Amino acid sequence: MSGCIVVGYTATDAGMDAVALGSRLAAASGAQLELVLILPSGSRSVITPPDAGYDRYLNDQAAKWLADAVAAVPDGVAHATHIRYGDSFADGLMTAANDLGASHIVIGTAGDGRRGRHRLGTVANTLLHSAEVPVVLAPEGSRGTNPLIGITRITAAVGTRPGAGTLMGEALSLATVTGAKLRLLSLVTVDLPPSVDTGVIEIAGAAHASNVLSTARKSLPADISSEVVVARGTSIEDAVQHLSWEPGEIAMVGSSRLATPRRLFIGSTAAKMLHELPVPMIVVPRTQNTSEGTQR
Amino acid sequence: MSAPDNTATPVASDGPENERGITGKGLSSGTVGLIGAVVIGISCIAPAYTLTAALGPTVSAVGFQVPAIILIGFIPMLLVAFGYRELNNRMPDSGTSFTWATRAFGPWVGWMAGWGLIAATILVLSNLAGIAVDFLFLLIAQLANAPGIADLAANPFINVVVCLLFMLGATLISYRDMQTTQRLQYFLVSFQVLVLLFFAGTAIFAVANGNGFDSSALSWEWFNPFAVTSFSAVAAGLSLSIFIFWGWDVTLTMNEETKDPERTPGRAATLTVVTIVALYLLLAVSLLMFSGTGTGEFGLGNPDIQDNVFFALAGPILGPLAFIVSLAVLTSSASSLQSTFVSPARTLLAMGHYRALPQKFAAVSPRFLTPGYAVIVSSVVASGFYAVMRFISENVLWDTITALGMMISFYYGITAFACVWYFRHQWFDSVRNVFFTFLFPLIGGLILAALFFITLIDSMDPEYGSGSSVGGLGLVFILGLTVIIVGIVIMIWQAIKHPAFFRGETLSMDAPPSHRGRRR
Repeated sequence: MSGCIVVGYTATDAGMDAVALGSRLAAASGAQLELVLILPSGSRSVITPPDAGYDRYLNDQAAKWLADAVAAVPDGVAHATHIRYGDSFADGLMTAANDLGASHIVIGTAGDGRRGRHRLGTVANTLLHSAEVPVVLAPEGSRGTNPLIGITRITAAVGTRPGAGTLMGEALSLATVTGAKLRLLSLVTVDLPPSVDTGVIEIAGAAHASNVLSTARKSLPADISSEVVVARGTSIEDAVQHLSWEPGEIAMVGSSRLATPRRLFIGSTAAKMLHELPVPMIVVPRTQNTSEGTQR
Repeated sequence: MSAPDNTATPVASDGPENERGITGKGLSSGTVGLIGAVVIGISCIAPAYTLTAALGPTVSAVGFQVPAIILIGFIPMLLVAFGYRELNNRMPDSGTSFTWATRAFGPWVGWMAGWGLIAATILVLSNLAGIAVDFLFLLIAQLANAPGIADLAANPFINVVVCLLFMLGATLISYRDMQTTQRLQYFLVSFQVLVLLFFAGTAIFAVANGNGFDSSALSWEWFNPFAVTSFSAVAAGLSLSIFIFWGWDVTLTMNEETKDPERTPGRAATLTVVTIVALYLLLAVSLLMFSGTGTGEFGLGNPDIQDNVFFALAGPILGPLAFIVSLAVLTSSASSLQSTFVSPARTLLAMGHYRALPQKFAAVSPRFLTPGYAVIVSSVVASGFYAVMRFISENVLWDTITALGMMISFYYGITAFACVWYFRHQWFDSVRNVFFTFLFPLIGGLILAALFFITLIDSMDPEYGSGSSVGGLGLVFILGLTVIIVGIVIMIWQAIKHPAFFRGETLSMDAPPSHRGRRR
């Protein structure tokens, strides 16, 4: 892969989920793992007086937390830790990802009840809207998965909405570096309006499926197998529910899949999908800028 | 994409990188400009809140000489703040007084200094929330045009419940470290200052038109501290005026946090204090002119209105516009609640860190990166304290303010002496040192020590302050003494349970050596 894997770490269960998943991706792809902890930058403090003494304490504490995180990274995975400052977790993380040349940003999504969902809402929301690299969402419990299981299969949900090409490219490159099987989920049946005749939908679905499969076969190394399935149901959440999943699998969707006109709900769509999915989800931004020195 | 500069072998992470982030835009260094520092300073002092809480008790102590007391009350504050600044530059630590006093005088004195700070801030938290409750009901009454609603604040049950809700809100905000935007905060502070100016202006205007309640002609005597009849009265007034300047020192001690550490803190402190003193004098003078010091309905000498004078006077002076004063006090209390919460929480955190308290206090919330445990403990104690006081005191706001002045004198005094003693080898290194590490803090410390003992002794009188008493002793005295005794008990308990700190194993005594080859 062309860059490192940046893990947005917090000293919580969600943070450990992200570390475990990030380690898995790094181990499977041979990429460098960068554990990043974001502290609040002083400039956001407008009511409480800033206190350099407390900041230093926080910095020491962050270093200890990162040391705990490092202990969870398996041997053989190249890694480094970073303490960064940002006005918000998402903001600091994106800047760090830019600076470090990240290929993926991994965040945890576990949470205790409502607050956890809210957290996924704000952080994932911001990241999914503004990040230039794929964002990997680690579901609750990822920390219990053995990082050395690797990536056994990648399921990419390919439709016809804008960004599908980028998603396809991303899926192919991830399958290539990790050696994972590729399963393509054709979403044409979901994308066509429900008013379209069922027969037409079936034909279009089959055509799209064979089309994406041949694209995949062309660019994948010979030893990586690929298959295609046609989605059933009326939404992507429906579609993923009908599939079976391997323990070492990762799902991939384009961010335009999750984007709704009411952008605030993107986080809840992602949360809903994660709830349906027993596996991690990679959200690929619509227009991914793969050139160096990307700027927001 | 650029490859990371680390090698492909696993890096044994022994800590964070240091190149970027930390010095550049990291930490708080270099983030606060002059205006930002002034805004933080004013919002910490919260002039609308402090004056409404302190003006009445001060009038009851010194009568018309409030302006004089405000002016001289600033002197010990300034002298001690100089000492604060020296200590902060030398040992920036979130434990402030606790850490510094421990370094200078050892664990026992240091512990009590930390305790004093925590007790003072917990007193002020409960008072702040109490004032906020009054004004919340007043604001609703004013907006709904139903004066009866304001009286609900006097019902102890309603009052305590609403106050606890306020505390809960403030705790959540502090725990989660929610900040407003800079623009909103600038607006709130400007609003507060403008409303106070308008309030004072209208009062003077009313007097000029013969509409004052008990119009009193402005006299230069008001600025003459020697016109106060007794020394005890001066002491009582001073300990209150220390409270009104409390919080100002943050502007002076913000050092590496400012964009220009050479100039910003000094300028910010000057600008803040000039604003604050001007505002206080103007308001004190205008309200004295309007109301006099009599005990009539709106007289500043009326014990019924003394614990919260703006509450009583906003209506008669501003009429239908009175609600803006309520708004100003409410917003001022709200932002002050938040900045005040930080102070005991950081000290508790430092005490936990150095094992002067159980280590739980040193815990930082991994999600919100605040001293979470310490914040919650401060809040629970302040809430409990307020609830108890509301029922045993005839005038809870008044008594807490007076006790607060005493506690501030206590820990500021220790801090001032800590500065003097800590720098004992460097006093005569330079002329500057003679003043800033020796004379200024020494004099400031002596004044505060005197204030502390005088207040303590005077407050034994059951008639002291608001006149609340328990068992024939003034409530303020009981409060002050209880706080100190409880502190000593907890300290001894901790020393038996976890003696490391008290043996000097976690934080040792120190005194930096003179920079001169030999001293004169």
